[in-house]
Formats: sequence, structure tokens, C-alpha cells
Amino acid sequence: MDLLAQILVNGILLGGLYAVMAQGLALVWGVLNIVNLAHGAFIMLGAYASWYLYTDLGVDPFLGLPITAAALFVLGYALQRGLLNLVVRAPMFNTLLITFGLEVVLTYLAQLAFSADFRTINPPYAGDSYALGPVTLPMARLAAFGVAVALTLGMWLFLLHSRLGRAIRATAQNLVAARLYGVEPRHLYAVTFGLGLALAGAAGGLYGTVSQINPYIGATLTAKCFAISIIGGLDNPLGVLVGGLFLGIIESLTTLYVGPTFADVASFGILVLVLFLRPSGLLGRAA
Amino acid sequence: MSARRAILALVALAALAGVPWYGSDVLVQFGINTLLLAVLAQGWNIIGGYAGYASFGNSVFYGLGSYGVAIAMVQWELPFAAGLALGVVFAVAFALLLGMPVLRLRGHYFAIATLALAQVMTAIVSNIELAGQNIGLVLPPLNNDPLFYELSLGLLVLATLTVAWLTRSKFGFGLIAIRENEEGAAVMGVNTTLYKVAAFALSGVFSALAGGIHAYWITFLDPESAFDISLNVKMIIMAVFGGAGTVLGPVVGAFSLSAISELLSSEITSVAGLFFGMVIVAAVVLMPRGLADVLRRYRKSGWRYFIENIRMHRL
Repeated sequence: MDLLAQILVNGILLGGLYAVMAQGLALVWGVLNIVNLAHGAFIMLGAYASWYLYTDLGVDPFLGLPITAAALFVLGYALQRGLLNLVVRAPMFNTLLITFGLEVVLTYLAQLAFSADFRTINPPYAGDSYALGPVTLPMARLAAFGVAVALTLGMWLFLLHSRLGRAIRATAQNLVAARLYGVEPRHLYAVTFGLGLALAGAAGGLYGTVSQINPYIGATLTAKCFAISIIGGLDNPLGVLVGGLFLGIIESLTTLYVGPTFADVASFGILVLVLFLRPSGLLGRAA
Repeated sequence: MSARRAILALVALAALAGVPWYGSDVLVQFGINTLLLAVLAQGWNIIGGYAGYASFGNSVFYGLGSYGVAIAMVQWELPFAAGLALGVVFAVAFALLLGMPVLRLRGHYFAIATLALAQVMTAIVSNIELAGQNIGLVLPPLNNDPLFYELSLGLLVLATLTVAWLTRSKFGFGLIAIRENEEGAAVMGVNTTLYKVAAFALSGVFSALAGGIHAYWITFLDPESAFDISLNVKMIIMAVFGGAGTVLGPVVGAFSLSAISELLSSEITSVAGLFFGMVIVAAVVLMPRGLADVLRRYRKSGWRYFIENIRMHRL
């Protein structure tokens, strides 16, 4: 029983991190209709940025998050404005392929810059943990979870209540009408992609505090983010949070009761099932 | 014009078929890889290029074909041909069983569902005893590269002829109608479910045969390499680079991209991957309809062709 409680807590903590990873992918997909195959590579980039800030400049990984997020926002804005805006109206394969090409480029650049070695971000409090009855709460994971939930709620409030958030949602619903109301799509698309990457950057920073990083983690992370976005639906950041928690718990349970090799089967199996049964996500509108 | 084209194709084919006689061993091995990739691109072309369904799961067919050959030859000691047949049976069964539900999905959702299927298959196969679980299977070696080369070439010719037939058959028109407007096609009396599943299965048969030949050639098989997802992306890039939805586009794309990547990795080993990524990005921006379209239209408008492409697809 204690073991089960611990597994559930681990799953929830992992799930919060998953949710913030997928948030950026879901935003870009839902609003711009670009399935960003390089999303995981941007998370990887965020993790390296955090690692660099900590090991070379001594910036605490949690305090460094805004810097990482800002840097990736700028990168995202520039990429969308200078490159992706050129192909957004092309057929689907083309946007899939161009983001795949970006993934290849980023992976090789990271390999050249940081080598293929595993890196970890190890602040002095990395080993600390709280005991909550029989359950142990690792401090770094707990903090990462807290930041992840705060970012998700912040995202939700931003999309719902801010002027820019409304413009983004309006564009997702009807580009032509949004344009008539004075939204400048080129700029707005770039801002949205920038926000997606800022979330990826922050997620990468959090990921680096709880996991090892190397240049090749991107593809697997992208696949997980797909699963979460589809389970949660694309319309709503809270749905993505639920999707992330769901996947985190399922993976932890599968690892314990069936075996670690089945964790990925579980997540992708669920993804396929959800697609068959409710193609717009568990919390999304019925198809 | 048509006769000239046919003669040209025959000359090219004869030159390709002769490679084992005048080419080096390295060239023959490069050739086998390239020809099999071209078969995959051509197979993907049927479901992705003609029917417009971006399958990211064709590597499953390739893996099933590989395992068909490996299981038949290692576990049951059957001949190679029986293994190929078994792989085709696996592929068709997979297409029929999973094609129905998956092909109900559209667009990105279809792409991602097929991607997930490829992941699930890797994990399932690594737990099946008959398939050697995680360790894989070792096939009896047959050191006959020219034979594998000619087999691969033959398969590519067969796949290309099938696609050529497709472009003038009722089946092919049905697929194009589905790509352009699925509801419209259904209204016009196209049995869209049947057509889509048939296209998925046909594309699977060629991929499975390529996988079977590759498995016997390499003589070693494990789940990771058999269901390699990057193979999927490769075949799509090759088909799109050459021109998806055309008869020769995927073949041209596979040949030219293989050559580019081979050249890059021999000339500038450390950054070859980086340049490959940049070639993909540039190709998508400048020639979104592939080399086939460039060759057709560049002569008329010159460099303005590329600017027109960008103008057509930018925001």
C-alpha cells in the first residue's frame, strides 16, 4: 500500500513535468496547425541552456528558467517569422518535414556544441527530500512539479483573459475573421510559436533538474508530447495538464507492475486507443 | 515522345542492372540500400502521395516483412521465398486489421496514430519468443551481393510499374479523388474505405518485400532496427523530395538524397547530418512539390519558380 502511494506520487510529479513539456506543442498545433516534430529538440535545447547557466555562470536552475524561456522565445519568434511563416499554407507533409529537418539540425548542433556525453544539473539541494507520512517527496521533483502547474495555470489565464491570448484563440478559430479585426497574423504566428518554444525551454530546464540530458533525447520527448496533447485535447491547457498527469501515473504504474520496457507501450497504446475512441482528446469536444 | 521516353527508361534500367558487373563492391552495397529505400518511398507514395494519407507507420510493414523472412528461415527452416510470402501475409493482415480504424482518422491525427503504432509494434515484437524477443534472430548468411542487388532492382521496377498502372486505373483515380476531397469522392460513388484499405495494404506489400530482402541481406534482425521509425521519415522525405504523387518522383528522390547523404558523409564526416537537415529545410521551402515539379516548370520561369513557391505558401 505504501509502495502504491509512493508510485502514485511519483507518477503525479512526473506528470506535471510532462504536462508543461506538452503545453508548447499543443499550443502551436492547436493555433498554428503546425505539428512541430522538433519540439523535443527545443526541450533538449532548453535543458542545455539551463545546464550551461548553472555550471558555467552559477545561476540556480529554477532562477535560470525565465532566462532560458526568454532565449527560446526569441529563437521561436525568429524561426516562425523567417522560416515557418514561409510554409504554413503548404500541404501537411511539408510542415512536418521542415520541422523534422529542424530537429536534425538542432540535434547535430547540440552534439557539436556539447558532445554526446550525458549531463546532469546538480544543484546542492538535488538530493533533499521531504517525508510525508510513508511517502518521500524529492525536493527537486516537487519544485519542478510546482513550477509546471503554475506555468499551466498561467497559460490558461493568459489565453482566457489577456488581449494577446484572445487574439491567439481568435486566430485558431478563424484566421480570416481575426485578420479583419486587426490581428496581424505574421506577428501573431511568430508570438505563438515563440510562446510554444518558451514553454519548451522552461520544460527543458525543469527536465534537466530531474533527468539526465544528451543531444538525442528530443525524439522520444516529442513522441510523449504527442501522446499527452492527444489524450488531453488541443483546445485547453488544463486538458494538457490532465493528459500529462494521466500519462505520468500510467507510466509509473506500468513500470512497477509490468516492467520498465512496457512504459512506452502503455503510453502509445493509450494514445492509439484515445485516437480511435475520441479523436479530439479525452477532454476535447466530441469529433 | 512516349517512345523516346521508353527507350530512355530501358537504357537507364540496363545501366542500373549492370552495376554488379562494372561497379565496385561498395557501389553494389550502396546500390542495394538505395534501391530498397526507393522501394519504400515508392510504396509510401501509394498511400501518402496518391491517397494523401501521411502514413508514419510504413516502417511497421518493413519490420513485418523482415520478421516474416527471419521467422520462416530461422525457426521453421523454410526457403527465402516462403519467408517473403509470410512477410506479405503479415503485412496484409496488419493493413486489414488496423487499416480500418486508423484510416478513419484524418490529417495529423492519422500521421500520429501510425507513428504510435510503429512504437507499439517494436515493444510487442521484443516480447514474442518466436521472434527472438529483444535479442533478435540471426539468419543463415548468403554472400551474394549481386543477387540481392538484382532482387532489389526487380522489386523497384515492379513497384514503379504498379504505380504507373495506378495513374491510369480506376483505382488510382479513386485514390486521387480521396486525396483531393474525400467527402466528394464518397458522394461520387467511390467506396472510400475499401480504396483506402487497399492502398494501405498495397503500399504495405512492397514495404514488406523490401524488409524481407534487407533482412536476408543483413542476416541479422532485432526489433529496434526492424521497426526503426527514422526509416519512415526517410521514405517520406525521399518521396516528397522527388515529388509525391508522381510515378518517378519517389525513385528520383531516393537516388538523389542517398547520393547527397553519401557524398556528405564521405566529404565532411562530422557535420554531414547537419547539412542533410539543412537540405531538407531548404527543399521544403524552395521546392515543396519536389524535383519532378522543378524539372517540369523551371525551364519556363527560371529562378522565379522558387519565389512563386514561397509566395504561394507563405502567410
